[in-house]
Amino acid sequence: IILFTTFVSGSGGRYNDDFDDGEDLADFDDNDFAEFEDMNDDLAAEAETAPPPRVSPSSQPEEDEDEATVELEDGQDGFDDSETQDQDMYSKYDQEEFEGVGDMEKTGHSMKDPLIIHTVPAHLQNSWESYYMEILMVTGLLAYIMNYIIGKNKNSRLAQAWFNSHRELLESNFALVGDDGTSKEAVSTGKLNQENEHIYNLWCSGRVCCEGMLIQLKFLKRQDLLNVLARMMRPACDQVQIKVTLNDEDMDTFVFAVGTKKAMARLQKEMQDLSEFCGDKPKSGAKYGLPESLAILTEMGEVTDGVMDNKMVHYITNHADKIESIHFSDQFSGPKVMQEEGQPLKLPETKKTLLFTFNVPGMGNTSPKDMDTLLPLMNMVIYSIDKVKKLRLNREGKQKADRNRARVEENFLKQTHAQRQEAAQTRREEKKRAEKERIMNEEDPERQRRLEREPDSMPR
Amino acid sequence: SQTLLGSVPRRLVAVVPVEYKPPSTETNPTLEDPTPDYMNLLGMIFSMCGLMLKLKWCAWIAVYCSFISFANSRSSEDTKQMMSSFMLSISAVVMSYLQNPQPMSPPW
Repeated sequence: IILFTTFVSGSGGRYNDDFDDGEDLADFDDNDFAEFEDMNDDLAAEAETAPPPRVSPSSQPEEDEDEATVELEDGQDGFDDSETQDQDMYSKYDQEEFEGVGDMEKTGHSMKDPLIIHTVPAHLQNSWESYYMEILMVTGLLAYIMNYIIGKNKNSRLAQAWFNSHRELLESNFALVGDDGTSKEAVSTGKLNQENEHIYNLWCSGRVCCEGMLIQLKFLKRQDLLNVLARMMRPACDQVQIKVTLNDEDMDTFVFAVGTKKAMARLQKEMQDLSEFCGDKPKSGAKYGLPESLAILTEMGEVTDGVMDNKMVHYITNHADKIESIHFSDQFSGPKVMQEEGQPLKLPETKKTLLFTFNVPGMGNTSPKDMDTLLPLMNMVIYSIDKVKKLRLNREGKQKADRNRARVEENFLKQTHAQRQEAAQTRREEKKRAEKERIMNEEDPERQRRLEREPDSMPR
Repeated sequence: SQTLLGSVPRRLVAVVPVEYKPPSTETNPTLEDPTPDYMNLLGMIFSMCGLMLKLKWCAWIAVYCSFISFANSRSSEDTKQMMSSFMLSISAVVMSYLQNPQPMSPPW
């Protein structure tokens, strides 16, 4: 009975198969167990030939078969003999009469395939693992926030380090160190003005020879992870930009610039005054004792001789790696302004200015200690202020400079002449139109009275 | 320490300090970095896409955009603008998940 029930349970799975129906009719003729006989023989034959190619589909029915066969072996001995006898009989008949059995074996196995175990689709599962994209996103956000905090702190530490090393020099030279423009009186705040997470300003004023000095610490955007990644491709460095504005009597009329070749080429194209007054290509600095990597743009040779005295050459040569550009100009008006309606109608305002751009050493990987290396450059800035005050062109140079400026102004007026005429014309036309409208809008008797009179005598 | 530069010691000259004027970038906004404005706009567009088209990845990108805009912002920027873009992107993410709690599928 135990055997019978196991056979039934074993064959329960097989009743789903199609070929069983055909075989049932054929086999049940002989004995009740003929069906099972075939299955057992199939198994034996299969084991003899080759290991089953598909483990998962056939494993389930095979397991049942194995169970069934195990049970059989464990069961009553009586059946063993008959089973083996049957197997022998079957194997004898195998080649002669049972031609299609091999095929049926194969089809049998192939028909066992439908029992494929599918994996549950991700959206129906209820585990945390299926939300891996979300976890990735949140991790990315956390990484961004971490980088923001770290970058912000690093920039802040660098700025403080710079200020601590330069504070003494600045306070001894300027009466007002640090002003954020909010208070009415010019009171020294004594600290940096933070414009941004990566830009710090410092305004110093109250010194002879200059109106004031604005120092901008332009650090890299360490607080933005995108920027950090971009910098891995294209290294950049922190910069210190110093802009000294001078009073009119503090500087003679000249335009001069020195710096790296790349910077000089760029400034000559971009800056209004350099493009107008320094027409020649940048000359190599080697002629004046500067390193090869630096180039000079100048209005005239005398200016270069005047600016590049021994001390300046000494300063620049010693710190050439940190100098990006130095630009002295009495006609400074910033970069060229591109306007849609062609040239601007009036000359841009100019201011006597000294501009310095220094690169912080370290190419991005700076530490607060590196800020001390910029101190000699600040000394150079102060020295330059005094020098420019004393530098005066001789008579010939002055005449040349005046002629240059007159030429530039004339060119400008010529270029804009057509535009200015047009502008004047349109202004006149608009005035006339306004007049006509006023006449139209008046009430009838008034209008008649006015129309009778000359239009020009109307009150405006 | 007293520094003598040039021939005139500083303390002997009465100089009136000049007050600080904000730099000219206010009059010339093209010199400023346009990143925070672009990121703000992108963030708003993505969050609207995420809300309307129920795309989860749009909403997540909107959150990233508003974070980037915040990191690059200038001090003169309106914090209200920043907060509103941030809130919009967060609400886009939350709404996308409320409507469809299934996890996001990668595009590959």
